[in-house]
Amino acid sequence: MSKFQPLASYRAGQTDDYKLLPLRFSELDADRYLLSNFVGEIHVLDKAVAREFFRHRLPSTSAHYAELKSKHFLLDEDSNVAIDLLALKTRTRLERVSQFTGLHLFVVTLRCEHSCPYCQVSRQNDDKTNFDMSVENSERSLDLVFKSPSPHIKIEFQGGEPLLNFRLIRHIVEGAEARNKIEKRNLDFVIATNLAVISNEILDYCRDHSIHISTSLDGPRDLHNKNRPRPGGDSYERATSGIDKVRAALGRDQISAVMTTTNSSLDRVKDIIDEYVSLSFDSIFLRPLSPYGFAVKTKWYDSYDNEKWLKFYFEGIDYIIDLNRKGVQFKETYASTVLTKMLTPFQPGYVDLMSPAGIGIGALLYNYDGAVYASDESRMLAEMGDNRFRLGTVSDEYETLISSDALLDPLEASFAASAPMCSTCAFEPYCGADPVYHHATQGDYVGRKPLSGFCNRNMSIFKGLITRMESDAYTRRLFTRWANR
Amino acid sequence: MSDHATDVGVDVAFSPEASFEIEAIKRAAYRFSDRVSVEITEGPTGLRCRLRPLQCKAPGNLNDIAQEFRNEALDQDLRLKISRETEGYRNLILSLAFSKTPLGQ
Amino acid sequence: MLNLRKSGVQVVYRTDAASPRIFRLTDDPQRPKPLRKSEGFISRNGVMPEGFAWYAMLNASPDTPIPEPSSAVFLPDTFNYLASGDIVRVDAERNNFDVLFQKLAQHHTFLLTERCNHFCLMCSQPPRNVQDGWIVDDILALIPLIERTTPEILFTGGEPTLLGARLVELVRHTKSYLPDTGLHILSNGRAFIDNAFAQTFAEVAHHDLMFGIPIYSDQPERHDYIVQADGAFDETVRGILNLKRNNLRVEIRIVIHKQSYERLAQLSQFIARNLTFVDQVVFMGLEMTGFTKANLDKLWIDPIDYQSQLVDAVNLLADSRIHTSVYNHQLCITDPAIWPYARKSISDWKNEYMSECIGCAVRDNCGGFFSSARFKYSSHIKPILEKALV
Repeated sequence: MSKFQPLASYRAGQTDDYKLLPLRFSELDADRYLLSNFVGEIHVLDKAVAREFFRHRLPSTSAHYAELKSKHFLLDEDSNVAIDLLALKTRTRLERVSQFTGLHLFVVTLRCEHSCPYCQVSRQNDDKTNFDMSVENSERSLDLVFKSPSPHIKIEFQGGEPLLNFRLIRHIVEGAEARNKIEKRNLDFVIATNLAVISNEILDYCRDHSIHISTSLDGPRDLHNKNRPRPGGDSYERATSGIDKVRAALGRDQISAVMTTTNSSLDRVKDIIDEYVSLSFDSIFLRPLSPYGFAVKTKWYDSYDNEKWLKFYFEGIDYIIDLNRKGVQFKETYASTVLTKMLTPFQPGYVDLMSPAGIGIGALLYNYDGAVYASDESRMLAEMGDNRFRLGTVSDEYETLISSDALLDPLEASFAASAPMCSTCAFEPYCGADPVYHHATQGDYVGRKPLSGFCNRNMSIFKGLITRMESDAYTRRLFTRWANR
Repeated sequence: MSDHATDVGVDVAFSPEASFEIEAIKRAAYRFSDRVSVEITEGPTGLRCRLRPLQCKAPGNLNDIAQEFRNEALDQDLRLKISRETEGYRNLILSLAFSKTPLGQ
Repeated sequence: MLNLRKSGVQVVYRTDAASPRIFRLTDDPQRPKPLRKSEGFISRNGVMPEGFAWYAMLNASPDTPIPEPSSAVFLPDTFNYLASGDIVRVDAERNNFDVLFQKLAQHHTFLLTERCNHFCLMCSQPPRNVQDGWIVDDILALIPLIERTTPEILFTGGEPTLLGARLVELVRHTKSYLPDTGLHILSNGRAFIDNAFAQTFAEVAHHDLMFGIPIYSDQPERHDYIVQADGAFDETVRGILNLKRNNLRVEIRIVIHKQSYERLAQLSQFIARNLTFVDQVVFMGLEMTGFTKANLDKLWIDPIDYQSQLVDAVNLLADSRIHTSVYNHQLCITDPAIWPYARKSISDWKNEYMSECIGCAVRDNCGGFFSSARFKYSSHIKPILEKALV
């Protein structure tokens, strides 16, 4: 019918010219680049095609043209709503930063009956009660917590072994709930415990106040007990029976487990994952070993090798993908966090992968002695004698702590968008700034990224996840589901 | 310029016709700073880089490294050009993102 | 297929009694007297309880005396389906009879105007540039008569937003008289690039309002081509942003045909990244009405041939936790992966089954076809046998 116009009349302009929108590219492998933009959209292109694209020589009939247009890497005369959408996506990505500090860590005691060689906390033996947080300090800490404007507040109890000071936990929970009647935030509580000293009284209390439990599970019995010695050598038995008790009393989803990787773990990733699966967990966080605390003192870290860890990690990822193919719903948490940044417009707010850095902005730590730190790692560094990231004390005003140079300097210096190598890296939207790590390992907030274990590890993870998604449709779908949970 | 008799290294030259920016080469050098030190000299025949392996590291195949270095410099040069070209849009998008105007106007 | 209109009906009309043009029907002879003054009685077999404004005479002799001051309309037995709660309109001047609302129907659709600023290749209601403002008047009169337990009503066109402030009035009217009824408005969304306009809808604070807005491609020029309007894509997207900014609910509708099926997954991806806040997405099959027949060569593709694109598109949205549905697709030509998302969406007065459907075990779950589909439908329709379900 002549009253209908053909497709060609809706294509503006006769020329094939297009404009580039802000983008970055980095090598994915020998033949391909990864393109990304600051709102995290990704596209993989053969290097030759990419270079043509950058030089404005990609024809509009090319298979890639439509993708690049849809993902906002190029702009042509047909449409310009891309600009509004990019601005909106930028806001979405930064929203979490504007909400400010949501995670508040309370170190209620340094006492602990375990003696894990990798402990980053430099725990003290059981009986020294002057390593407990005072009631007065806990109340000042709560004051500071509610000074944060964040609509979501998560209070996490740590130690040592926090249950050794359960009385104070109760006091803090009740204090927070009382204040929250007026504040009306979304308030969550977590206790990070080894479960060795859990009791029915504690379980009842946790149930009544909807407290979530986070525990350590390093793998099967032999591995776990070797990593985590305690008098009696029964850390594993106590952890697993504790898990059962918590599930029965609080609900199956009220407990999560974290593992720590040691040299002994490195060739046993399948055993560790199997352990988690058999204990009905639906996720695992395959963590690297951090360069803090006893880990350094006991030389765990020296013999630690990024290459070995990456092999461990990807053996784990591939095994988990396989489990999913066989119908086991299980995911890896670090990958999920990265994938959220890659495949959705959202920011997961995981402290270690934020830029601006998560210190202070994402988390604050109130130590047993009344000191306030910018993050968990900041405290660990202090235990090693370096107070660089100590912001002040609970007697200080909130504004003083948040605007102190101890916080602002590393935030500014480490901001990845400005850091050498990071500022042009296509993986930067998925990465983070970790000034504490770089200060600890290299002596400055930014670090020289070619020498950075953090950078090397993360880039390998990004590339590994992307190549798997690109080459297998099932994995792509699985990763999309992980990203959105 | 230090030309020691036992100076181990390899040269990478960038001819003036290709109009490489020195900034691009510096960035490439930074990326390789865990493997080689890079000495950049500018002259009438263009830019010349001397790559020397770091003392503490095993030498590796210097020629391979030199090839990678050249490719990296190419990429960095492209990045600089793209960044300049897209700066206007970047500023527009960010100012829209941070303004109070509702998006969609 | 039910007959909803009739012209050339015999009408006995009492002008001095000012009988309502639009009225609700009942077949209850015990209807309380005060209500009879504004209602019509469905008269079968000569039963005519007194006091009604109208009598709808089914299959009656045209000589049947009608007592003053009542009016009457004489209808053939094709209108035997009329029941209590139905709302009708009698145009005594032109001798037209229309059923405007059928209480027992599953879907209630009201056309607000035939005017439109698009000219979609597959338009099921081809636009006419007419002064049809009287339609809104009729609907305003009709809304208070609708049973208040009605779950949902739909406004469509043409392009409803061309009515401007009158559309807001309609929404407000619906809120006032139907406080428990959901309101769905189909629109291309472009008028909402005026944020103030979007805001007026938000200010009505309707309890359950959703705009159904089509986007047919992630490529602007292709969307513009399908709706035959330059610049449509940009304005539609901007309109959606403003609606969401004002906390109004938005559903994205995607009609699948030869011009849109290839990039369905990319469109899902685009929505998931850029319009992640929409309330739901629906994929729809092609209707064989209006312009579709004229553009069949550009539009027809057997649904069985786009199942892989549809599966990818649906999965991507579902994985991104965006509520997704598939309408107007028969189960036998839909990939079973999609069955959880397939809804029975065809209005019951419109839906039918083909001879190929005999013996199908899942007929009750399947929406069947539009009756217009008899013109052309998939060559792969076949019954799903009980055994195959397990």
